[in-house]
Amino acid sequence: MKQILSLNVNGDDYQIAAYPSQTLLDVLRDDLRLTGTKRSCGTGTCGMCTVIIDKKAVLSCLTLAVECEGKTITTIEGISNPDGTLHPIQKSFVENGAVQCGFCSPGIIMTAKALLDKNPSPDEKDIKEALAGTICRCTGHFKTVEAVQKAVPNIHKESGNDSEEK
Amino acid sequence: MTAKKNNYGVVGKPQPKLDAPLKVTGRSEFTDDIRLPGMLHGKIIRSPIAHGKIRSINTSRAEKLPGVKAVITHQDTNGLMVGPDQMLLCDETVKYIGDEVAAVAAIDEDTAFEAAELIRVKYEPLPALLTLEQAAKKDAPILHQYYEDNFADERTTVLGDPDAAFEKADHIRIDEFTSSPNHNCFAELHIAVADFSRPDKLTIWSPTQSAILFQKALAQNLGLSEGNVRVCNLNTGGAFSGRVSAKPHHYIAALLSRKAGRPVKIMADADEEFIICRSAGRNKYRIKTGFMNDGTVKVIEADFLHDCGAYVEEQFVLLLLAECALHLLYKIEALRYQGRLVYTNNIPYVYHHGGGMSPVQFALGQHLDRIAQDLKMDPVKLQLKNAVDKGYTTINDTHYASCGLTECINKVSRKSGWKRKYNRLPPYCGIGIGCGVMSSGGKGMWMHDTSAAFIKLSEDGKASLFTGLPDMGQGSHTTMAMIAAETLGIATDDITVVSGDTDIAPFDVGAFSQRGTFTTGNAVKNACLDARKQLAKTASEKFNVKTSQLVFFGRKVFPKGKPDKAISFEDIVFDTLHCAEGRFVMGRGFYNSPTDKPALSYSFGAQIAEVEVDPETGEVKLLKMTVAHDVGRAINPLAVEGQLDGQVFSGIGQILYEECCMENGQILNPSRLDYALPRPFEIPQIERIIVETHDPYGPFGAKEVAEGPMVTTAQTIANAVSNAIGHPIDEIPITPERILKLLKQKKQELS
Repeated sequence: MKQILSLNVNGDDYQIAAYPSQTLLDVLRDDLRLTGTKRSCGTGTCGMCTVIIDKKAVLSCLTLAVECEGKTITTIEGISNPDGTLHPIQKSFVENGAVQCGFCSPGIIMTAKALLDKNPSPDEKDIKEALAGTICRCTGHFKTVEAVQKAVPNIHKESGNDSEEK
Repeated sequence: MTAKKNNYGVVGKPQPKLDAPLKVTGRSEFTDDIRLPGMLHGKIIRSPIAHGKIRSINTSRAEKLPGVKAVITHQDTNGLMVGPDQMLLCDETVKYIGDEVAAVAAIDEDTAFEAAELIRVKYEPLPALLTLEQAAKKDAPILHQYYEDNFADERTTVLGDPDAAFEKADHIRIDEFTSSPNHNCFAELHIAVADFSRPDKLTIWSPTQSAILFQKALAQNLGLSEGNVRVCNLNTGGAFSGRVSAKPHHYIAALLSRKAGRPVKIMADADEEFIICRSAGRNKYRIKTGFMNDGTVKVIEADFLHDCGAYVEEQFVLLLLAECALHLLYKIEALRYQGRLVYTNNIPYVYHHGGGMSPVQFALGQHLDRIAQDLKMDPVKLQLKNAVDKGYTTINDTHYASCGLTECINKVSRKSGWKRKYNRLPPYCGIGIGCGVMSSGGKGMWMHDTSAAFIKLSEDGKASLFTGLPDMGQGSHTTMAMIAAETLGIATDDITVVSGDTDIAPFDVGAFSQRGTFTTGNAVKNACLDARKQLAKTASEKFNVKTSQLVFFGRKVFPKGKPDKAISFEDIVFDTLHCAEGRFVMGRGFYNSPTDKPALSYSFGAQIAEVEVDPETGEVKLLKMTVAHDVGRAINPLAVEGQLDGQVFSGIGQILYEECCMENGQILNPSRLDYALPRPFEIPQIERIIVETHDPYGPFGAKEVAEGPMVTTAQTIANAVSNAIGHPIDEIPITPERILKLLKQKKQELS
């Protein structure tokens, strides 16, 4: 039997009928057609389906949709600025060549965003640790880690943190 | 890294990938994102045993399950063969764990899974041949009944006079090496969406490295004309030598769709992916080399055995590439080579990233490192002594019009501080060098090596570039746009790349054999020169100069030396289109290397690795990689860096971590958690050195940077680890267990 769920995804409220066995990943991709979140292993081993639930980076393939009742979910489609310009992490990934096939990029970017939301000044070790659960075959993690590092000052700029330092 | 200055407007300037903004916002479309009306989900029923007879297949319960729309077995395939020895769905025998036996399509994934469970197949197990040693034995049972032995394919080459050369050599060294099965591990799992609901036209969506090879194979095997097979390759989530040919699941999706009259999607499960992929099997390498007191390598004799698993697909490429690795890099006088593929009851093994070259070059690199030690010679000096150079012609008549090998070796040696470090590091710290060569193109591997391209100019002075070259992440579409922009004298973002649909795109063999930048790049350049010629007619009339006197640069056209007279590119296009004849500008270009060798151009690389080994745990810590690659010219230095990174990563994985642990034909670790890909904290510091030698045949002098760097990484790290532990390395990947075994062995040897 399907259940009716209330989810807030990228700032929009949805009511969705989902089976108790349905994962959040299935609901995002198949019901809401938010296909930016990628389906790969389905068993929590690759990190490509990472979304942010209430500020935490979570594997949506291992999360049942029913667990998300009343929660705030952010996907890759929901992090660009309201005017459509890219989030500093997205921009840094583009400019620094951290995107190749791009299949893992949404998961990595969401993981990085959760990290930077919590820790606005991570060092290289923090970034590597945070990204350890995401697989990226093409870039070999070199430029993804670099892109997250380079995004840090721009996030400060956008959130106005740097003016405090002055 | 900064780009060298040149006179180009576009070429050589770091350019972010044109499709990157789509990819970072989740708007890029991959095959799993497609949802067609009435689309069904397919599931393949596979053999659970490595070898056996099929006694019976009962599909009746599955067929009765509500929601099931099609069930197929060998009775529905009309004897369809997907290879010389492989039936699409097995009729009498199964030959590996995972062999395709039946398939179902149902309204949703859950129903398809349930139906698959309801199909009853009875097997009578047969003894299985699980190692290549077993299968290569003279009295081994024959796996394919029409053959005399288990050797699926063989390649023998003799160049020069090996016996005489060995006779003259001061020393002879023989080494043997083994590499273990491993897996390509793409981000995007194998997937196919097929719409064959119209019996005369098949449309198939799939990630691929070659839409044309897919189209050809599907058309031939399904009895359609090539034009009636439409292959749509949207974005491809990584390929790494593993998506060149159509695989059984593509055909199965097509046949299920035909039977059900609705589109069908088949996507691999996480563990099924390790079977579907056809990665690398176990390989054994025996190398014998004759060399002189001064380190000159004179002659190589090699005997390679490759486990090709149950069926032959494109493994012949392994045999060909392995041979190239032996005679293209060093100035040898003679070669004797034998490569053989051995059938076993394992998964059909093709190759991992690098076309199987990573383990071959590991073997050759370790072998040469030991020669240097035999002679008490610095390995860098040994590499320099034997390195090929510009103008050199190899023993198989391959001529090098450009070659930066010596420059690469010198640069990595200097930048890494080799002289300060070699044999001067603390215990269990090591440094090693490796070198590699790679062809820019793959002639002889497939029937032809042709690429074609169209460029269509719009009234506003922008252009659409039509190419059949897939972009699997390497950035080929951006590189092609840059080549087009440079040739037309406009900007990269004036170009829209149109690709990914065989109904629209011109012929292109595909993105493999390092042929994209070189071969398709030349075709794109030719297409743009053709378009420019059409525009030059208008411009030469306006300026009253010969067409050869025109300059196309910075979105302007002007007579040579008179930039003040410039007319905008847009105006020239507009005036051409709206002249009395209405000359619509569409350029056509094509390219096929005019050679009977694999390629006209070759790239070269050298790398140095620095490692630290923990003698207690056997763990290798990779500290730094210094990587130089002769790319001819870096069209897009940002993409070149990305290619260097990705390949170094892949080399690290193949040499230190990645292994499919096999037991009785079964992979024990078919999960990305248990199959150890390197993680971010295992990534070393990297220093990238781009060497430019301006190849006369490449577009703007460019050569490959597709798999060249990666064949060098594995041997480099192996040599560094060997240097650290003071013991040669015979078997890869060099896992902690193997290191501890070697350290124990070393202790015993010393006592």
